[in-house]
Amino acid sequence: MARALWSGSLSFGLVNVPVQLVTAARDLDLHFHQLHERDNVRIEQRRFCSEEDVEVAWEEVAHSYDLDGKQVVLTDDELGSVEPRKTRTIEIEAFVELADVDPIYFDHPYFLVPAGEAEGTIRAYRLLVEVMTRTERVALGRFVMRAKEYLAAVRVRDGALELTTMRFADEVRPTKPIPTGKAKAKSKAVENAVSIIEELTTEWKPEGCTDCYRERLERVIRKKRKGGTVKPPEPERQPKPAPDLMAALERTLDGVRKGAGIEKVRAETANGDGDELEGLSKGELAERAKDAGIEGRSKMSKKELAEALEDA
Amino acid sequence: MAPRSIWNGTITFGMVNVPIKLYSATESKSVSFHEVHAKDGARIRHRKICPKHDKEVKADDIVKGYEVAEDEYVVLTKDEVKAAAGDRGKVIHLEEFVDASEIDPVFFEKTYYLGMRDEGEPYAVLHAALKRSERAGIGRFSFHDREYLVAVRALDDVIAMHTMRFHDEVVSGGDLDLPKGGRKPSADEVKMASKLVDMLERDFDPSEYEDTYRASVLDLIKRKAKGEEIDLAAQEEPEHGDDLAAALEASLSGSKG
Repeated sequence: MARALWSGSLSFGLVNVPVQLVTAARDLDLHFHQLHERDNVRIEQRRFCSEEDVEVAWEEVAHSYDLDGKQVVLTDDELGSVEPRKTRTIEIEAFVELADVDPIYFDHPYFLVPAGEAEGTIRAYRLLVEVMTRTERVALGRFVMRAKEYLAAVRVRDGALELTTMRFADEVRPTKPIPTGKAKAKSKAVENAVSIIEELTTEWKPEGCTDCYRERLERVIRKKRKGGTVKPPEPERQPKPAPDLMAALERTLDGVRKGAGIEKVRAETANGDGDELEGLSKGELAERAKDAGIEGRSKMSKKELAEALEDA
Repeated sequence: MAPRSIWNGTITFGMVNVPIKLYSATESKSVSFHEVHAKDGARIRHRKICPKHDKEVKADDIVKGYEVAEDEYVVLTKDEVKAAAGDRGKVIHLEEFVDASEIDPVFFEKTYYLGMRDEGEPYAVLHAALKRSERAGIGRFSFHDREYLVAVRALDDVIAMHTMRFHDEVVSGGDLDLPKGGRKPSADEVKMASKLVDMLERDFDPSEYEDTYRASVLDLIKRKAKGEEIDLAAQEEPEHGDDLAAALEASLSGSKG
């Protein structure tokens, strides 16, 4: 199981459940290192004093805050003195309805797992899972991790207690100042748009969405390692809004009602005659052929690729 | 004053093109400090050093390398990283829609607001349709040379866009290996605990929760600025109760009082 990032107790009234915190999100990104171009040696970041031009060890670093133009310097110990007292407890302060908490407040997800095998611990943990599942409630509480106090939401996911750190109210920007144009949408236009959306609605299946960026990056790295060259594709041009919004909605709705996928509706209408493939380079065609699952593409000429894609 | 947009682009669904601007929906308000040398209060500068020659390296001489084996790096140029971002440019195609409430919030990573650009009508139609249908549009978004999976939904009077975690990045409850067996909570315990939940039931009002840690750090800064001596107090630990039923009962009677 994942490494515990924090351990303490989840406190609910006078019930304390010893728990450990493990992450609920894996970082699968490919990470790069900064290298010195000349010798491929990994760059190190080092701290230097701007006055004396000498390297400064981490223990000699203090923290400075600009208070109305005055520099206030705090040491680690001084900062430590304001850490809240109960650093090992997540105290549940309130239960709220899950549906009332907009996900915009959720920051990082973790799981809480029972600490140790003691029967009482496991039973208390299960009691919380059961009661929160039944009531569809999420518990709000605070806890301190790595010298910072967090507001956290504890809820049930997959039969386990998930803890998500939360943003504070003033960390979520108001929507009011965002320009919306305040245009009045014609009801017929909205009806058509809703119908298009309904035609295109599927069940949410996260497994169906793969990280294409990660896959492409892996491909680029493999190709480059073998000594190949990689060129970025020409980015798609930004389309202009349709001159007649209603007509665009109606034609889209027609297309999707006939069962055409939305990409096809778009491709057919974007250029009228559907030969958008003409302007693409061989590499781009090969890329699309790969996405379309066309076999034998590596042996095809540019023309053959375009034909195979048209038939696909 | 209108906030500053960080990107502009176009959302499409079918033939409908919606020009939009992108805004950050969240910002951290944690107190941030500059690193200084404790001895003289002088600002710390970070220097990039090549350990081989122990010399500072200029930004122009630094490249991005991916470690494929120990000490073996594949160096990628900016263009090669761009190639991985795909060819979508500044266009977000919404190709399918899902019931917005079906997406578990664990998938949401960062939130942006979308504002209208140039023309208000397409924006208004998309907003109204998302709101009425209670659906979220799923698409891909290229930003700073990387591609994200996004969910686009109506939020109040604006359209919000969440970048999403991929399914293999989300740990499921089944991965946790929770202990099995043992005695289940008794009906009485469930009843008492439910009562306790009811007593602590509130409407969610985010403004009730202040970042007290942030406030106390700011207070500390002010005290220090006045030349106050800072008391370096010790922390204390809570105790764990053993008797579940007794603890629940005591909590209930405490809440009543």
